[in-house]
Amino acid sequence: MKFDDQKIRNIGISAHIDSGKTTLSERILYYTKRIHAIHDVKGKDGVGATMDSMDLEKERGITIASAATYCEWKNHEINIIDTPGHVDFTIEVERSLRVLDGAILVLCSVGGVQSQSITVDQQMKRYKVPCIAFINKCDRSGANPFRVIEQLRTKLGHNAVAMQIPIGLETSLEGVVDLAAMKALYFDGDSGEDIRVEDIPPELLAEAAAKREELIDRASLFSDELTEAILEEKEITPELLYAAVRKGTLKREITPVYMGSAYKNKGVQPLLDGVTYLLPAPSEVENVALDMNHNEEPVVLTSDPEKPIIALAFKLEDGQYGQLTYIRVYEGTVEKGSTIVNVRNGKKVKVGRVVRMHADQMEDVDSLKAGYIGALFGIECSSGDTFVSPGLNMTMTSMYVPKPVISLAIVPKDNKAQMAMSKALNRFSKEDPTFKSHVDHETNETIIEGMGELHLDIYVERMKREYNAEVTTGNPRVAYRETITQRADFNYTHKKQTGGSGQFGRIAGYIEPISDAEFVFENKIFGGAIPTQYIPACEKGFKQSMAKGPKLEFPITGVKVVINDGAFHAVDSSDMAFQAAARGAFKEAYLRAKPVVHEPIMKVVVETPTEFQGSVMGLLNQRRGMIIGSQDEGVMCVIEAQVPLGEMFGFSTILRSSTQGKAQFTMEFALYRQVPQSIAEKIALEVAQNKKTAA
Amino acid sequence: MMMIKKEIISRNPLLNLGFENEYILQSGGLGAVLAHAGVGKTALLVQMALHAMMNEQPVLHVSLNDAVSKVDIWYRELFHDMASKNDSAEITEYWENILNYRFIMTFRVEGFSVPKLEERLTDLMQQNIFKPYAVILDGLKFDESGRGLLLELKELAKKYAMRIWFTVHTHRHEPPREDGLPFSFLHVADLFDVLVQLSSEGPEVYIKALKGQSPGAKKDALLLDPATMLIKA
Repeated sequence: MKFDDQKIRNIGISAHIDSGKTTLSERILYYTKRIHAIHDVKGKDGVGATMDSMDLEKERGITIASAATYCEWKNHEINIIDTPGHVDFTIEVERSLRVLDGAILVLCSVGGVQSQSITVDQQMKRYKVPCIAFINKCDRSGANPFRVIEQLRTKLGHNAVAMQIPIGLETSLEGVVDLAAMKALYFDGDSGEDIRVEDIPPELLAEAAAKREELIDRASLFSDELTEAILEEKEITPELLYAAVRKGTLKREITPVYMGSAYKNKGVQPLLDGVTYLLPAPSEVENVALDMNHNEEPVVLTSDPEKPIIALAFKLEDGQYGQLTYIRVYEGTVEKGSTIVNVRNGKKVKVGRVVRMHADQMEDVDSLKAGYIGALFGIECSSGDTFVSPGLNMTMTSMYVPKPVISLAIVPKDNKAQMAMSKALNRFSKEDPTFKSHVDHETNETIIEGMGELHLDIYVERMKREYNAEVTTGNPRVAYRETITQRADFNYTHKKQTGGSGQFGRIAGYIEPISDAEFVFENKIFGGAIPTQYIPACEKGFKQSMAKGPKLEFPITGVKVVINDGAFHAVDSSDMAFQAAARGAFKEAYLRAKPVVHEPIMKVVVETPTEFQGSVMGLLNQRRGMIIGSQDEGVMCVIEAQVPLGEMFGFSTILRSSTQGKAQFTMEFALYRQVPQSIAEKIALEVAQNKKTAA
Repeated sequence: MMMIKKEIISRNPLLNLGFENEYILQSGGLGAVLAHAGVGKTALLVQMALHAMMNEQPVLHVSLNDAVSKVDIWYRELFHDMASKNDSAEITEYWENILNYRFIMTFRVEGFSVPKLEERLTDLMQQNIFKPYAVILDGLKFDESGRGLLLELKELAKKYAMRIWFTVHTHRHEPPREDGLPFSFLHVADLFDVLVQLSSEGPEVYIKALKGQSPGAKKDALLLDPATMLIKA
């Protein structure tokens, strides 16, 4: 019997920070009867929102890790991933989008399309996730949902169309008019759970008719039936209209817009209807796996629960009972007691407990069918691993993981903290591929690396809270890199005779810059000037040299090494000798290849009242920022710039003080760029000073 | 990178049309590109802006329609199309260099005014952030804005020694005069030093000078490559 997945929706809720995603999730859980009371973010009852399960999230009022939960609405099963809004955590957003079939893009009716919405939108585009929009906070003063719809069109290029219009706005927001059914919806009861359907108030009739006309007009592009009905002047039923909008939504060619105020319990249930009517079922989305047996050929998956298993582990969490692995099943059925294989290392594992998550509480189930999101217990794996039935060799496309741009030295307070810290670091780096840690052998400090100041801050806090690891932190350091700008030859002989057998190896060739790889090694030796068995040792020696530049000691990237000559000694040559020769050769050529330092450049977007535009531009300019442009938005203005990360420490304080706290900014990694000479000299001085203090 | 620059200059449509000096517009001058919607007005001006940026002449791009990110994509794509024959590392490096000579400013149509633009400009110039050599003003509605606004802009161009290029959207339902100028543009036509017209015939795009050519230049329309808005090689 064919399994019907038409009633499943896997959705994410994505948005700019503080536009009310978590509040919206909370209301959805309440109306779908998964929870029986509403607890607000930063609420006075001290409970916090259900989806914000970590203590830290409750305290700061932000969502850090995406918690998965499922609920039911009108015979549909909806799996929701609550995603973090801050840019520092975008790896979480990206991972969630990878496993989702659709999304709700939450926008603030006052703030509109903000910088983070643009980032999230680009991610949705990358993973081709169809979305519907929800314009939240229509009860706030200055609310203007139609301005936001216009921004969706102009700033994000969406073909946005209103499915509703508000009844009243700001403090007088009463409900919404459903433009498909042409009915007014009011939300009664203590928590808006009773929906009262009435006729449209006469003063809104004309506006509703005009907006409905626009909706029909835009939807008709996707449905011949609808166009026919328009031409023949037949009645246009809500079903006909929804079917047309759905077609456009699945192709990402139209974005239906709902509106309301989650906090005031208005407009959430119609949004849930929208999710079930308009967003795709798992089998309607094309998912592709790579066949490892056939040169990674892409294979389209069918969402059939009877087929062998293909599932992706997209998130790990350390729970009370061991590692909890969130998975999305793409094909087959993962059952309790079945055997699955981790494609990355070929290890077979037996599935123990299978659960469905509701924030940090869970519910045991027997199986997870294709299309479902759930979690497994007691499975050792890393985030991004693919699990399959024995005999299959497929992998889900790997996810794009950006490299860390900032690092911080941490020192545990005592021995106990040391143990707890290493446990925590091990866990965090498994959970989050953008978080890395290592020990600097020279200073003996533990270095953690991540995507921004807040990103590292949160992990240091989590270390304290979850693992009781008290640590002190140093100043954040920028992840500089070195590279070369011209070709340089080398011809280096390593020779040592200090009693016993000596060491001998000579290597000749050149190094040159390359742009599309970090390191390339090419062996052009003919005639055995260096015997084949020593070539890997040469490559290893060069690779070792790339870890640290000879002068400034930053990692080196973008170097091609070509060896074309050399010499060996029948007795004194060895792997060791050729590794040493390679290191010497690299050092010899490197300084002649005009090395330069590259620094991470961040895309900084500042939203400020227009009167502070000049001073904000000045601030960015002082920080070596290159201002890309400014966008006038009436009273507010958005300035976009590229600024070196090294100049951004403490920017939030200065921005606040020079704009009376009215401006806000977001920042994300953009690219690496060469450091100007004067700054390079300053960096060299700092490095020398650090070395002195370490010694 | 000289290669890219050389090719762009040799295929520059305005120079090929016989406009006299290399920079076409004098300081304080106004120029405009007239065309129906979708023919490539913005693309042509972006291409001219890239030309200026390569000559280290700062360009302020003012858009009344598009967001900063969208304007940026115009430049990025056109530049990459023009430079596509070169090595990708070289393209990136060159792009990073010329980017310093561009500043994008966007306004909502209803929020745009010359005093406001001047205020923003002085913000930039006083702090030594940016001093434009040329300004591109994209999206001004000529049939709605009166002669007064254009006079103010001409004053502004003189005051700050800039030249300003405009896009002029002409309507398909409105047949032009014999000299190619649409009636809705006549009230301001005399304020412009250079006028060019873009037109499309099927997939082909043609450029023609309407005003400002040197007397001896050819009057024929030239065929453009729609991807780069350069003269078709």
